[in-house]
Amino acid sequence: MKSFIANFEIYIALILLTGIGLLSSCVTDAEKYTVDYNKEVTGEIRATLTDAPLVPPRIEAKHNTKVIVELEIIEKTMRLADGVDYTFWTFGGKVPGKFIRVRQGDLVEFHLHNHPDNMLPHNIDLHAVTGPGGGAEASLIAPGKSAQFSFRALNQGLYVYHCATAPVGMHIANGMYGLILVEPLEGFPPVDHEFYVMQSEFYTTGRFGEKGHQDFDMQKALDERPDYVVMNGAVGASSGENAMKVKVGETVRLYMGNGGPNLVSSFHVIGEIFDKVYVEGGTLTNHDLQTTLVPAGGSAIAEFKCEVPGTLHLVDHSIFRAFNKGALAQIKVVGDENHKVFTGKEKEEVYLPEGSSIQSISSGKQTSSDEVIEEKTLEERLAAGKILYNQNCMACHMELGTGIAGTFPPLVNSDYLQALPDKGISVILNGLQGEILVNGEKFNNIMPAVSLNDDQVASILTYIHNNFDNGDGLIKAAEVKEWRNKK
Amino acid sequence: MLFKKELAFLVMLCFVVSSVSSQNKGMVLIPSGSYKPFIKGKVDEIQVDSFWIDEKSVTNAEFSTFVDANPSWSREEIKRLFADEDYLSHWATDLFNQDSFLIGNAPVVNVSWFAAKAYCEWQGKRLPMLSEWEYAASALPQGSVDSSSLQEIIANWYSRRTLSENDTVPHYKNEFGIWDMHGKIWEWVYDFNSVQSNEDSRNMEETPEGLFCGSASLNASDASDYSTFIRFAFRGSLKGHFTVRKLGFRCVKTK
Repeated sequence: MKSFIANFEIYIALILLTGIGLLSSCVTDAEKYTVDYNKEVTGEIRATLTDAPLVPPRIEAKHNTKVIVELEIIEKTMRLADGVDYTFWTFGGKVPGKFIRVRQGDLVEFHLHNHPDNMLPHNIDLHAVTGPGGGAEASLIAPGKSAQFSFRALNQGLYVYHCATAPVGMHIANGMYGLILVEPLEGFPPVDHEFYVMQSEFYTTGRFGEKGHQDFDMQKALDERPDYVVMNGAVGASSGENAMKVKVGETVRLYMGNGGPNLVSSFHVIGEIFDKVYVEGGTLTNHDLQTTLVPAGGSAIAEFKCEVPGTLHLVDHSIFRAFNKGALAQIKVVGDENHKVFTGKEKEEVYLPEGSSIQSISSGKQTSSDEVIEEKTLEERLAAGKILYNQNCMACHMELGTGIAGTFPPLVNSDYLQALPDKGISVILNGLQGEILVNGEKFNNIMPAVSLNDDQVASILTYIHNNFDNGDGLIKAAEVKEWRNKK
Repeated sequence: MLFKKELAFLVMLCFVVSSVSSQNKGMVLIPSGSYKPFIKGKVDEIQVDSFWIDEKSVTNAEFSTFVDANPSWSREEIKRLFADEDYLSHWATDLFNQDSFLIGNAPVVNVSWFAAKAYCEWQGKRLPMLSEWEYAASALPQGSVDSSSLQEIIANWYSRRTLSENDTVPHYKNEFGIWDMHGKIWEWVYDFNSVQSNEDSRNMEETPEGLFCGSASLNASDASDYSTFIRFAFRGSLKGHFTVRKLGFRCVKTK
């Protein structure tokens, strides 16, 4: 009896909880705006379409309207990476396809044109459409034909569109996708910049970077092993010179889509935190995110404010795709530093776990000063010195002794080196720290002591002096020994 | 292997036959046989009876002879019901200029199904059935032992457009002895819309038995045979009065 009562109480509690749950879901539903599609729209406008990374301006009309969209399918050969061409199938001549922007409740009159020079039939499936195939059935067209259909944008969201003609995977793999934004009638809150970024993969007969025209590889597509994973249709399409540009203090909204055809994107912006994300491009918002998942055939809207200058890297954080397959776009943020947010590099020095002043690189046994060394000829020293230089010095001073401007001083015709009374012996034996002036340029870095024996130091220095234009001459092991003993 | 030898023999025999028959000049006799259908159905093999087929697709020059003799099929007089406004739009003048040898020898394109059918009938021939066309086209290039060589021709056409429809040079002859079934132009078949790719290409429901359904691919005998998918999808996008810049035809004759 007692247990019955206990169970009964739990039962009641469950009913109450369920009731609250129902209540709250009702509230949510009531808040959701539903389009009255029996209400006619007023007027008509022709949609402005843009190529990535640009986003069309929002439609300013206060009321719902008819939006006429004209989209042309073009099959054309374009750059996939430097020296690599691919025959893309496109919505509007670029990959990804044109960005389309309408509002919830707008009536969209869609015209799809298949260019007469195209080889293949195509159609379009817009995920924003409520209707069979997202318009695919109504829009299948042979080359040289046009199709027209209309739909009411019932649901808010950022939607992918793509070709759905057999074989669908191949049409998508060749570049047939884009984004259509259905924003609230009153629009999203204003931001300083809106950008269009879309990730997708390409499956080529040649490996990543293999030059020449590449064909679609059906087997790699079946295996889901792309050679290219790119942002905005090609390696470097929106990075380097083509990077998006904003100023410090400005706000950014990214319309991010994933065309697939296979991979899911772990979308991340290196150097920023998403203040707000419309999860999967819908109405649910999340805040303070590092990485947001963008499904194949799905999207996300991400917002952030650029507080400090620098370059932001938009990547798929399945990170080999970014570093080895091209999944990288950039936003360059220009303006004044804000050290209250980020200081930049305040200090750099060699980490000294054992408390010594300058760390030693131990690569050889130090010669005991008592040992007698056999001297070598110039040729012998140069040959040995070259190998030792490449092993010990080249990483910083570079193969030809040119150094790296601002960081590692040059050894070529170095006035600093030539002025040293010991020809540089002490620098190798003891390392060097602090500001020096080399050929008029200031350097302030640390070179660790290099643990080499007298014979090896003599060979390296002979090589550096003779090969890098610092005056001829054979440096003897005995000289090194002499300087070592002075210490 | 044995089959191949027999086939080769038959093909050679065909040559002899075709060269002596003045009535079937420019045609090749395809021996009866079977092929594995792309669309899964009740049968694993489709039987095809022996038939004559044009060695090459119909050229501009040949088609212009037909138009000269039958003005109702000229660009001027053709009814919109039978061909859309792009009908023969690549011809500079209404009557094709026969002096222009190069284009004259190129395959005629921008012709509707109605016009292609009328041409064949005027010649005492007919359009090939889909099964006849697919069977005739399934033969490998002459001298080739590897089926990938045929796939390569098709794939190159799709992705590189190595050959133009205005190319008058024949590209490859297959084991049956007919030229360029793939790699240059699409070709009309009589029953192009009988087995069609669904317009949505993915919808598997509510489709009559045997009807082909694109990427859902459950009905395809080889879902990775994308070159065939594309050919079926292309046919599915057509209507009888359509004319397309890369679509021509050739005729056949019952044995």
